[in-house]
Amino acid sequence: MNFWFSIFRQTGRNLRQTWTTQFMTCLTVSLSVLIFSFFYLIYLNMLSAGDKVTDDLRLVVYLDEEPGPEMQKQLRLKISQFDQVQEIKFISREEAYARFAEQLGDNRDVLTDMPTDFLPASIEVIPLKTLRSLNQIKLFSEYLATLPGSQKVQYGQKWVERFYYFTQLLSIIVLLSGILLILTATFMVASTIRLTIFGRQEELELLKLVGATNNYIRTPFLLEGILQGLIGSLLGLTSLYILFQWTARHFSGAGFLDLFTFTFFPPGIIATVILLSIVLCTVGSYTSMQKFLRI
Amino acid sequence: MTETVAPSRTAMIEMIKVCKKFPPNVVALDDISVSIASGEIFFLIGRSGAGKTTLLKLLCNMERPSNGLIEVAGMNIHQVTGNKLAKLRQKVGVAYQDFRLLTDRTVAENIAISMEVSYKKPQIIRNRVRSLLAQLQLEDKHDILTGDLSRGEQQRVALARAVANSPALILVDEPTGNLDATSTEQVMELLIRCSNSGATIVIATHDEALYRHSTHRIMKLHNGKLASLTRGDGQERLKSMEAMNGGSSDGI
Ligand SMILES: Nc1ncnc2c1ncn2[C@@H]1O[C@H](COP(=O)(O)OP(=O)(O)O)[C@@H](O)[C@H]1O
Ligand SMILES: [Mg+2]
Repeated sequence: MNFWFSIFRQTGRNLRQTWTTQFMTCLTVSLSVLIFSFFYLIYLNMLSAGDKVTDDLRLVVYLDEEPGPEMQKQLRLKISQFDQVQEIKFISREEAYARFAEQLGDNRDVLTDMPTDFLPASIEVIPLKTLRSLNQIKLFSEYLATLPGSQKVQYGQKWVERFYYFTQLLSIIVLLSGILLILTATFMVASTIRLTIFGRQEELELLKLVGATNNYIRTPFLLEGILQGLIGSLLGLTSLYILFQWTARHFSGAGFLDLFTFTFFPPGIIATVILLSIVLCTVGSYTSMQKFLRI
Repeated sequence: MTETVAPSRTAMIEMIKVCKKFPPNVVALDDISVSIASGEIFFLIGRSGAGKTTLLKLLCNMERPSNGLIEVAGMNIHQVTGNKLAKLRQKVGVAYQDFRLLTDRTVAENIAISMEVSYKKPQIIRNRVRSLLAQLQLEDKHDILTGDLSRGEQQRVALARAVANSPALILVDEPTGNLDATSTEQVMELLIRCSNSGATIVIATHDEALYRHSTHRIMKLHNGKLASLTRGDGQERLKSMEAMNGGSSDGI
């Protein structure tokens, strides 16, 4: 009881004396939280958009010949030998023609002079949802190309690849900004606390002389670290949320972003970011304090 | 701590063959052995540079002896560390020669520090501060920054801080260096009140007025050596000392 009373009074004193430095540190922490969580939020949304893209993923194998029923059975067998698939659909030349005509809609009259079998027959393979990585899809498409009578395999390679590399790039940026966050939180807080200690060396020495325990001296600084982490991360996350709301309001409906229904962090991640900042800031202040107490 | 030492007249301080050297070759204390009983008032005298401050610093663990053993309340204070050392220091009040006040804090805050570290209730702290300031006639200085006080006032605040937490051992270094006769009287009264409630008190001074009429033991240091250990005999001057040091017992 009395311990905490003394500690809070001491912390209050500290903050009153050094609030400008403390404030700057807090801003730095919140800025790095903002940068980190900004990229992390984009990354998470990319991932969930990626889920959607791969939901629609299908590989189309164009064939030289229209396969007979016996051939179809064999092809089916061969495809499932490589990997289990969700669905295999044979599209005959007529069906392809009908689909194409449908797609053309009002312009279908361009087809009037065309024979109904000018489009190749094909197999549509919808892979299992577990087949996610670009590499696996590539391997699968290479395998499908070796099927007898296969002419060409298509799965929207460019789009998938671009998306895949962008996600990879993002994950690197997330990692880097995470490191930035760790560095600023620990080192900025450590150096702020060191500055505070420096400015109050006389008082801390005296406290030791009149018999203050290490905990009595240390705890206020640890509390400051916790406060820095808490306020810094709250500030960072709040500004991100405001930014998020603003973006959602101004860009909803614009074609590209329709694909991504942007969502904010779930509570679990918010709590983790806050907790992480608190831990990092506390570690920063603790290391500074230990250096002083050992002298 | 006095309670834990069973018989009432056990030693609070035990010094055995204590030496303190400062680099390069200053011998501040040389082969000092003395035992100070619990509850005793003990004077430490000698010229400036004799080693009085050094001896007090050894007793409160601000310096380590180069040689010899020092026990306070039965503990070898230079082997105690961590929370135990903190607890010990809470029981030793020191009025430093250079005061060590926090000049950007008020008088009340400075005195409160020694009680805050042992988690005394705020109400108790407030009362104790007021009572001490009253005894030293500094009531009106309660909320003044100690940096704005005169040296004499600072000196009394430093003393108030030393005794505030009712320590078992009180070390005072030149408590009356900047004081007039009346203030000196008040300071001595305060110390005697502490002694009556059981505290052991060691006073380093070169102010003859403090110990001339006392009946307490007086240790004289000279160039770090123990020059004499006598008992003040009331009205009489310290003949033995004059004899030993060729009449140079004036102190200053
Ligand atoms: N930290 C130190 N380094 C070197 N010499 C010191 C130090 N502290 C004290 N001394 C020397 O030790 C001697 C005793 O000093 P001190 O105990 O302060 O004397 P007093 O308090 O009796 O005036 C002096 O000669 C002083 O110069
Ligand atoms: Mg001295």
